[in-house]
Amino acid sequence: MNSFFGQVRAIVWKDFLTEFKTRELFSSMFVFAVLVILIFIFSVDLSLVNSEEVGPGVLWVAVIFAGTLGLNRSFTLEKENSGLQGLLLAPIDRAAIYFGKMLSNLIFFLVMEAFILPVFMVFFNIDLLSNLGPLLLVLLIGTLGFSALGTLLSSLSSNLKTREIMLPLLLYPLMVPIAIGAVRLTEQVLTGGALGDMMNWVGLILCFDVIYLAVSIMTIDHILED
Amino acid sequence: MVQTDAPPSNEFAIESKGLRKQFGLIEALRGVEFRLRAGEFLTIFGPNGAGKTTLLGILSSLTRPTAGQARVAGYDVTDNDPRMRREIGVISHASFLYPDLTALENLVFYARLYGLADPEAVALRGLEEVELSLRRHDKVGTFSRGMVQRVSIARAMIHNPSILFLDEPYTGLDQHASLLLERHLKELKTEKRTVVMTTHDFGRGLEMADRVAIQVKGRFAKFLDRADAGDAAAFERLYIDTVEGVL
Repeated sequence: MNSFFGQVRAIVWKDFLTEFKTRELFSSMFVFAVLVILIFIFSVDLSLVNSEEVGPGVLWVAVIFAGTLGLNRSFTLEKENSGLQGLLLAPIDRAAIYFGKMLSNLIFFLVMEAFILPVFMVFFNIDLLSNLGPLLLVLLIGTLGFSALGTLLSSLSSNLKTREIMLPLLLYPLMVPIAIGAVRLTEQVLTGGALGDMMNWVGLILCFDVIYLAVSIMTIDHILED
Repeated sequence: MVQTDAPPSNEFAIESKGLRKQFGLIEALRGVEFRLRAGEFLTIFGPNGAGKTTLLGILSSLTRPTAGQARVAGYDVTDNDPRMRREIGVISHASFLYPDLTALENLVFYARLYGLADPEAVALRGLEEVELSLRRHDKVGTFSRGMVQRVSIARAMIHNPSILFLDEPYTGLDQHASLLLERHLKELKTEKRTVVMTTHDFGRGLEMADRVAIQVKGRFAKFLDRADAGDAAAFERLYIDTVEGVL
């Protein structure tokens, strides 16, 4: 019998293979994220503001905006050529489809972040290397929530004609708690804040990660149904 | 409730009772009733918009019926049971293939989804059966419609399903692809698999059928044994009379 993890792995493998061949998603997300960072660089006078305080907001705006491009493609790719119907016809759990797509998105986002961090570091003149471990953890938990919620809403909006508009309209308000937590936490990591203060934000982000994952598991069957 | 791996026993491979489907104000199915024993081949004819694709969508669990009941391989189609989906294969207008992946990669992906042992070998065997093994490393996006449909046949058969739903499988096929499909359908019939096929092609549809249905305006206006349908010319007259009588 095919295991749940085997099904998830098959979907992730297929998404990676597709991306490896087309490089559509990564290149568009990376270029967009760099452009967002550049726009902020030119609009903010870093001689007047502290880059450790402004930078985290810019970084997360870049991640979320660029990630939305990827999310828009995530289920649209399945809808084209009715790939989603092929998935729905297979004897697999619908949650495996969700987790497969969610994991693919999460990994694509993390790879994109790995590439934009050096750009961010150079433009904002922030030493990320001394706090790299905690920063990567913050990026992981923040991106997990973004990917969990974004994949669910991407599956929902892929049925709509106005999906490119509807996805950000649904996603951004619901991302507010994670975005606030991630920005504050990144700021504290970069300024060397106390661990005790950070734990509140970690708790908030993890709490919403769990909520969004749980809601996704509970609703994905109905969303994927016609 | 305790679930076992044994399929529920049922006399009929497919059973449909009062199946209805409404899309907004449009009633696509208006009480479809039929039963099909294991190994029988049903061909459904009908004008465009008769609800044939909707019926196959419900039987393959892709679409939820508004009312009525359907059982496939003993499983209620609304139960969303993966064991039912393991029993069925679907060939439709859409290929369910990814154009950026090669033919082999597409089939390996489906073999993995179905949890088959040695996915590469299974996928390669499938491509050999549709005579596309030489093009296995080419992207599906570069294939002609006929070639895509042949890969789609291999995809639908990869897990050796006992029941097949074919939605106008001959659409867009060239002569060679049509012959390959015909050969496959004959094999399916010899292997006593249950098949439901929709088509507009009287000759091909009648050749394989054990049962014949004429679907008009969301219901079966006729459901006959093949012997009662007569030859292609007689059936065409019956079809036209039936369709004009209902419309």
